Amino acid sequence: MTQEIELETRDLNFYYVGGVHALKSINVQIDRNLVTAFIGPSGCGKTTLLRCFNRMHDLYPHNRYEGEIIFQGKNMLIDGIDLIRLRSSIGMVFQKPTPFPMTIFENIAYGLRLKGYRKKPELFERVEQALNDAALWQEVKDKLQVNAFALSGGQQQRLCIARALAVEPEVILFDEPTSALDPISTAKIEELIVELKERVTIVIVTHNMQQAARVSDMTAFLYLGEIIEYGQTKKIFTNPDNKQTDDYITGRFG
Amino acid sequence: MGITLRKDPIDLFFSAVTAVAACSVIAIILGIVFVLIRESSLAIGKFGFFAFLTSTDWNPVTESFGAATTIFGTIVTTVLALVIAVPTAIGIAIFVTEVAPDFLKGPIGIAIELLAAIPSIIYGMWGLFTLAPIMANHIEPALQSTVGRLPLIGILFEGTPMGIDLFTASVILSIMIIPFTASIARDSFNLTPAVVKESAYGIGATKWEVVKNIVLPYSKVGVFGGVVLSLGRALGETMAVAFVLGNSHKITSSLLDAAATITVTLANEFTEADSDVYLSSLFYLALVLFLMSFIVLAIAKFFLLRAEKRYGR
Amino acid sequence: MTVEQRRKLENLTALVLSTLAAAFGLFWLIFILGDVLVHGIGALNADLFLSDPAPPGIEGGGLRNAFVGQIMITFFATLIGVPIGVLGGTFLAEYARGTRFARIISVLSDIMVSVPSIVIGTFIYALLVRPLGHFSGWAGSIALAVIMIPVVLRTTEDMLSLVPWTLREAAFALGAPYYKVIMKVVYRGAATGILTGVLLSIARVAGETAPLLFTSFNNNFFSWDMNGPVASLTVTVFQYAMGPFEEWHTQAWAASLLITLFILAITILGRAIIKWRYRS
Repeated sequence: MTQEIELETRDLNFYYVGGVHALKSINVQIDRNLVTAFIGPSGCGKTTLLRCFNRMHDLYPHNRYEGEIIFQGKNMLIDGIDLIRLRSSIGMVFQKPTPFPMTIFENIAYGLRLKGYRKKPELFERVEQALNDAALWQEVKDKLQVNAFALSGGQQQRLCIARALAVEPEVILFDEPTSALDPISTAKIEELIVELKERVTIVIVTHNMQQAARVSDMTAFLYLGEIIEYGQTKKIFTNPDNKQTDDYITGRFG
Repeated sequence: MGITLRKDPIDLFFSAVTAVAACSVIAIILGIVFVLIRESSLAIGKFGFFAFLTSTDWNPVTESFGAATTIFGTIVTTVLALVIAVPTAIGIAIFVTEVAPDFLKGPIGIAIELLAAIPSIIYGMWGLFTLAPIMANHIEPALQSTVGRLPLIGILFEGTPMGIDLFTASVILSIMIIPFTASIARDSFNLTPAVVKESAYGIGATKWEVVKNIVLPYSKVGVFGGVVLSLGRALGETMAVAFVLGNSHKITSSLLDAAATITVTLANEFTEADSDVYLSSLFYLALVLFLMSFIVLAIAKFFLLRAEKRYGR
Repeated sequence: MTVEQRRKLENLTALVLSTLAAAFGLFWLIFILGDVLVHGIGALNADLFLSDPAPPGIEGGGLRNAFVGQIMITFFATLIGVPIGVLGGTFLAEYARGTRFARIISVLSDIMVSVPSIVIGTFIYALLVRPLGHFSGWAGSIALAVIMIPVVLRTTEDMLSLVPWTLREAAFALGAPYYKVIMKVVYRGAATGILTGVLLSIARVAGETAPLLFTSFNNNFFSWDMNGPVASLTVTVFQYAMGPFEEWHTQAWAASLLITLFILAITILGRAIIKWRYRS
């Protein structure tokens, strides 16, 4: 089976404020409808790389990209790219749950309204669909008008996933989505990620190597801003080519 | 985490001294209330409470005094000033936190802080010498020939534009509280967690949508507290309005008329009061003003504390 | 118009409006500062600092009496207000830390910071001017001190709370009594912060006019006597600006410029110290 490429970086360099060289010549291809995991020790650049894909770094001053990120055949690092549209095609779920200060229903409907959905029945149908997809519908269907802060941490995180799904993105970026959750909530979210790859391409940053092994198809090991090794998860975890990768995976450093 | 080891006599003494110093705040508040009530007791006895608040009389010759005209002036100038200042201040806060290019954020933020430090007498004097003539010659005639022609609203702009009136005073007051309100609004905006803003940007929201749907709902309690705090400040402002209000004790329908606030009346008449009832009535006005602002400020503090507790550090 | 175009238009409109708000706000403020600067600089001369006021309507004269009076009143206000404020703040942040009593005083102080200053003027008038039968510089200083106390108290409390608790524990572990810990460790750690608070509170009261109107009043003659009426720049500006003479107006502009520059300088100094000290 040949894979289509969803996202690709070409010689990507990234500099934070003050010229800190956070990513060095990154070349990586993210395949469509697979789960790709970025692993590596703290400060290796995995989250920085993830946040390049929806250009989150543009929110803060003096950050600089070099190179290309190809998405849907176009370089999205050129000036004049429509960030609003880009970000609604590439969703993101954060480390800590980030419900908006609104009801559960409105949290999901928010993105839909931005996209121009106005009619109540249609909104409702799509909200239900998204909550179902995020395996949350059964738990919240009776309290859609309750403030989203009332949910538990795990439920809030699934709400955020539902919110990202509702606007039908091509890609969802997960930034250590379970690091603030208990083991049961973590298991639910991992299950969800595996289910979702049928519909979207998933990139996940994780600290937890077992998690990468459980959910991902492809794994990239980053160290000091470089990709040390990239390949099929099975290969990376059983028979890595690189000594550093092996050391990290077997827990000898990091 | 109070410390209970107070065996050392010097320590006992030092803690007692600090306790007394801390209690000075309570002593001042109680002192103000007690002294003002004592001094105004003559007027309270003569004019009562509700009768004093509702009487439009202010006549030193017949020695008949009421607070209605000055309360009217205080409320009109304060409300009108807030109507101008609050939207502007929130606009500035949005500009500084979300919109401004990075090289402007710092300087504008500092400019706002500095301008909030300029004493009110400067605003007042500038208002008298510079703004009042501009108002009288340009802005007020222009208002009269436009909105002044409209039915109902027109009544607000009747009379000869002199520049020494409710409208000019309100404009100066608003200019003065803009930096104050803006800096509280900005602080409240900054309590919004960055990661929640990021998730809104992450599903493709525009800057305005993030401000409208995330930042404002998050900070509304704090911003509201800030607005009420500005209200409390504006109620008691003296020098910014004293120069341009004319100190005329009447209730007018036109904003282009001279009027009086409690503060302006105190500033102009306190040292000239020649009878006991007159002076006592002025103390009574000060008491009313103190209670009004204390209550408003307490409400503001309540909301600011709630905002801080909910989203704060 | 597509949904996306409409959203972008709305976004643009809002951003333009907020920019206009900022421009509107800054316009007035630059206008005021510029005006004070232009009128004030033109009115500056040596006589302003070296001579006392000429009789009304007569050319010349200066504001030496008001400069000296302003400095005296502010100096004694600081001398009274700062120790009480610092000690009170110490009680809230140390001996009464975390208690309901400390919370209440803290909230009341915050309210007192914004209470109308003219009311303080009437309060001190009833307390110190009427019983003694005359206005006095002391009454002015005490009125300003009453305004300063809550400001200094709150900043002191905040600054002391920033000193890590472990530092105190380390000193306790050496067997030091609490007052020594406060003097030797806590004050030292918070010194710049407290100093900044003191500077900002001086900036706050140096521009006050309303509380001086009925306390220190005004004096057309040079006077060192804090027991009698003392001139101040702010009250002089009020009197001169409202007066009929052109010469007075000019001097009012000059005095306004100097008040503004003094207060801005102190405020900038205070902020610079904070930035330098707490730059992390």
